Amino acid sequence: MKYVIIGNGIAATCALEAIRRLDSHGRLTLISDEDNLPYSRPLISHLLAGTLPAAKLPLRPPSFYDDLGVETVFGHRVDSLDPTAKTVRTTAGKTFSYDRLLIATGGDPRGLAVPGHRLPGIFFLRRLADVRQLLPLVGEGSEAVVLGGGLVGFKAAEALRCRGLRVTMVIRSPWPLALQVDEFTGRLLLDRLRQHGIRVLLGREVKEFAGRERLAKVVLDDGREISAGLAVIGKGVRPAIDFVPAASIKTNQGILVDECLQTSVADVYAAGDAAEMWDLAYQEPRVNAIWPEAAAQGLTAGRNLAGRRARYPGSLGRNVIRFFTLDLLTIGRTNPPPDGPYRQLTAAAPDGSWYRKLVLHRDRLVGAILVNRIEDGGILQAVIRQQRLLRLPPAKLLDRWSWSELWQL
Amino acid sequence: MKKVQVHPERCLGCRQCMFACAAAHSRSQEAVGALAEQPRPRARVHVAAAGRHYLGFPNRCHHCEPAPCLLACLPGAISREPATGTVMIDPDLCINCASCAMACPFGVLRYAADWTAPAAKTVAIKCDNCLDRQLAGRLPACVEACKTGALTFEESDVALERKSREVARSLAVDGERETLLPPTVALLLEMKNGLAASNDAADQ
Ligand SMILES: Cc1cc2nc3c(=O)[nH]c(=O)nc-3n(C[C@H](O)[C@H](O)[C@H](O)COP(=O)(O)OP(=O)(O)OC[C@H]3O[C@@H](n4cnc5c(N)ncnc54)[C@H](O)[C@@H]3O)c2cc1C
Ligand code: SF4
Repeated sequence: MKYVIIGNGIAATCALEAIRRLDSHGRLTLISDEDNLPYSRPLISHLLAGTLPAAKLPLRPPSFYDDLGVETVFGHRVDSLDPTAKTVRTTAGKTFSYDRLLIATGGDPRGLAVPGHRLPGIFFLRRLADVRQLLPLVGEGSEAVVLGGGLVGFKAAEALRCRGLRVTMVIRSPWPLALQVDEFTGRLLLDRLRQHGIRVLLGREVKEFAGRERLAKVVLDDGREISAGLAVIGKGVRPAIDFVPAASIKTNQGILVDECLQTSVADVYAAGDAAEMWDLAYQEPRVNAIWPEAAAQGLTAGRNLAGRRARYPGSLGRNVIRFFTLDLLTIGRTNPPPDGPYRQLTAAAPDGSWYRKLVLHRDRLVGAILVNRIEDGGILQAVIRQQRLLRLPPAKLLDRWSWSELWQL
Repeated sequence: MKKVQVHPERCLGCRQCMFACAAAHSRSQEAVGALAEQPRPRARVHVAAAGRHYLGFPNRCHHCEPAPCLLACLPGAISREPATGTVMIDPDLCINCASCAMACPFGVLRYAADWTAPAAKTVAIKCDNCLDRQLAGRLPACVEACKTGALTFEESDVALERKSREVARSLAVDGERETLLPPTVALLLEMKNGLAASNDAADQ
């Protein structure tokens, strides 16, 4: 059996390990344009902040690929895939044939197609290489602009602030993390950002990057100009699937996969940020570009590649951030349409020390926001995943509760 | 292999296991010394509803396979100790990101300063099956402390395992889907219902 895996992020890594556990003889080939050992992508912002050394990023020992008997083809991007001939080709022109293929190419950051977007001084925060280029420029006291109020924008702003830069966040939405949180929580985050000296401009977009040889200022759509030698774009990621022939392999935002992580074509699988699968909270296919999904999908895909029929019932968006002493955990569908079959329950501490919101679709839990007191977030996630009718009054879940309380119900 | 088994129906909610656990995971590893320590030693097993008969529930890590926390851990700090299957957290690698709290369907993770972590930083803490004690031929601290038999150290309870498999299957749509999730809430509710029934029977 010849397995080819494209990408060496966490989805690919979990798949490799799963395949090897079930098939000790098959030939494993890994093709990736990043040439590192598997590393923790989320930790690159800690490297930028200076709170972790680079040595903490690798997730497996240097002998990892040898131990598993994996042939690695690093530094090359796959640029075409022929599912009929069962081959992939790299930009260097090398062709590899496969019996079973896994596409675990993750996502590429979305760019900003405005004038000047190629000027030096403009960065993404996606890869280790991005941080390596950024690091020499993070001198204390200089000006930086972070574009985007999503998770990566947050992490970039926090990291640059840690380095002592003066940071302005430019956010298009009316509050930060608008895809994940409601307005109430968004305001809390906004206060926290400002308390920590980060300037936040809401409802604004960038119109132009200006500068002669390198970035000197960022021009916004209201004409305002922010002088800055450094900009980080955090406008989300787009599945890196340009080489996938849409005529044969069904794609939407990402590559559509079933609960075995198989694409519409036999023997071709996809997992992680590149894949789009059934979302348990939204009840429709979605790309949930988060670490634990990539790991679990990669593991399940690997089992299936190795011939075991393993199923993953569906994906679920979720995130947890600890941002300057504020803990925030979000799961599933947190901003449902106001009309229709959705119900929202909220509770907050009188002293403002915690806040909770639950979203129900009829009598099933489909989403939650927890501000502080987040330890039981995993229980709520399990309840959402199981898609069961709630047997206990949902209001019970709003308060702090424990197994023994559940026991009493 | 022997494992810690939880028999919630025998729990009186006395919390002796919690004290013993905290002491066993302290720097001095005994109760008197533990009391004076900074950072304060924490329990890895949690019992709420203290003092209320038959309402306690000793909640501890199930060392799931596959473990959702391990898959979710961003810095790769969670691993499985192969000999016993114990899911372990390396305090040196832990970045206190709470990804494991979001993943754990049993809600067993806590975050606190711990003496085993560099500079006593705040890290994720949970049950480690008292591997050090086991190596020294001793019982896990919670088992040693439990006087009612709610926590025992024995070969896997075949009946309970069958029960959890049944519940897992009843949760699945097609009856045999492999799921990455332990049965969690359903299992406990199911156990509780079963228990309520047997308690009722005993009362009559
Ligand atoms: C700064 C930052 C912070 C984050 N924080 C969190 C967090 O707190 N929690 C969370 O859940 N998630 C977080 N994420 C998201 C998380 O990192 C991703 O969801 C996860 O890494 C996806 O893994 P993957 O294996 O699917 O893809 P990736 O990790 O993107 O790996 C894909 C690999 O494929 C390679 N590749 C792509 N295209 C090709 C091609 N055509 N040919 C060959 N190779 C190719 C790439 O080089 C890459 O190595 C964060 C991400 C960033 C950038
Ligand atoms: S998910 Fe929870 S119960 Fe399962 S191994 Fe991790 S900490 Fe233990």
